[in-house]
Amino acid sequence: MTEHGHNLGERLEERVVDMLADIPPEHVDVHGSLGKYLLVFVALCVLTTMSFLTYTDFWPFKDEKHVTWAFMMAVSCTKAMLVIMFFMHLLWEANWKWVLTIPASCMSLFLLLMLVPDIGMRQDNGWAWYSRQRWLYTADKPAVQASDIEALDKKETQQHEPSSTL
Amino acid sequence: MSDHSHQPLKLAYQPALPVPNGKTCVWLFLSTEIMFFSALIGTYIVLRFGAVAWPKPHDVHLSEPIGAFNTFVLICSSVSIVLGLEAAKRNRAAEAKGWILVTFLLGCVFLGVKLFIEYPAKFAHGLYPQSPHSLVYDKADIQYAAAVRKRLLALRAEIEPKNPRTPEDEQKLAVIDEVSRDYLEPAETEIRNNPDSPQGLILLLKLAYAIYPPQYGHEGALESAIANGFETTPIQLVSFLEETGTAESDEHDAGDGHAHGYNDRNPWLRLPIMVPGGSLWASTYFLLTGFHAIHVFVGLIVFALMLTMTLGRNKAALIENVGLYWHFVDIVWIFLFPLLYLF
Repeated sequence: MTEHGHNLGERLEERVVDMLADIPPEHVDVHGSLGKYLLVFVALCVLTTMSFLTYTDFWPFKDEKHVTWAFMMAVSCTKAMLVIMFFMHLLWEANWKWVLTIPASCMSLFLLLMLVPDIGMRQDNGWAWYSRQRWLYTADKPAVQASDIEALDKKETQQHEPSSTL
Repeated sequence: MSDHSHQPLKLAYQPALPVPNGKTCVWLFLSTEIMFFSALIGTYIVLRFGAVAWPKPHDVHLSEPIGAFNTFVLICSSVSIVLGLEAAKRNRAAEAKGWILVTFLLGCVFLGVKLFIEYPAKFAHGLYPQSPHSLVYDKADIQYAAAVRKRLLALRAEIEPKNPRTPEDEQKLAVIDEVSRDYLEPAETEIRNNPDSPQGLILLLKLAYAIYPPQYGHEGALESAIANGFETTPIQLVSFLEETGTAESDEHDAGDGHAHGYNDRNPWLRLPIMVPGGSLWASTYFLLTGFHAIHVFVGLIVFALMLTMTLGRNKAALIENVGLYWHFVDIVWIFLFPLLYLF
């Protein structure tokens, strides 16, 4: 069969549809079930309420903003993981899912590692663009000496005199 | 030695991934979208946490309950499209179409809340992403006072030549005169006469607070003063804020928990407002939520097209792929909501 006109993807898709057509409806997807999806939905609602809790008066860490932010990010990551694993079905997919998820996770981790020291740790001292080390060890600009001013003045007057070398 | 009797070689390609092409392509597209939104969110993080000052939600009319409601709406729409997929896999076309319709309607609710409730709330107070629509200034300085003067002159030029004037016109002129006489002119005079005195800066800040007061009581006023170069709230302004009811914001506001200034009491006035960090906030907020809203809108177009099809078993792959896109849009909002509303 030298038929290369139909590409592999389409043939595979037809094969999958055929396979599904043979399976009785009850066994179509052994993984996802209504109960699981509803449970995930309830979990997402609970998590959303928890992150909204930080806005209300019941939140005990109102004064520690880093705790609040860490909590909100943890809640967001959990919600995203639930959607990815269950709604996007990745929990039950084959090993190709690692090709997607590992580079994306590396990128998020790298983003965090880049931004936290560069921006996050430079907030409290009020001088956002100098790290503590730089502030401690940077050289002072030397004060302009009187002799420097005389030298500058001399240079200026010399430039205005007509040159006599020609 | 070649053997001419055998058949041509039968080559069998091995699939690289045990996944249909459509699904692979959607995942590849989603990874590019991850990069896209990571860039925008990373920019927001850098700008926000590197900024000297950043407005709090009430300063810019950002409502957390509405954001939470929108989050809930998108989560429900994710559930409904998963249920639509399950129905399509079982070849129940009518049920699948019903779930897709539910998803479509929930997406419309999300966009409706954003476009008809949230964005107009910002626009009504002059918070746009860009000049000249945007009325936002970051500091109460001379340029700010000049912008206020320019706007008052434009309003006068509009109303004064009218003959005859209605009572509303007279009232408007009275307000313009009041702002000019009580706040703008003292500030400009003081700055002109004593350019280096702090009194001029205090009067400029008073002008800004009269037009658009800081929310959140004493702490909000303190942060606003610090962003304008003061070390504490100037004492004259503490009493001024208490008089106009903005410090405690309970008795004198119009009942919605917001301290009101000239711009709130007179929506036609639209004077420039001073919101520390407001300009950057507007840029990043509208950029992030705008791009997200565009993605939601594209999803809605696809749902509308799907509603014209019979969604049987042979369309399950299509629903799965569209569902992957829609779940991604939901995940982006799951991250945007705390970053923009709760941080």
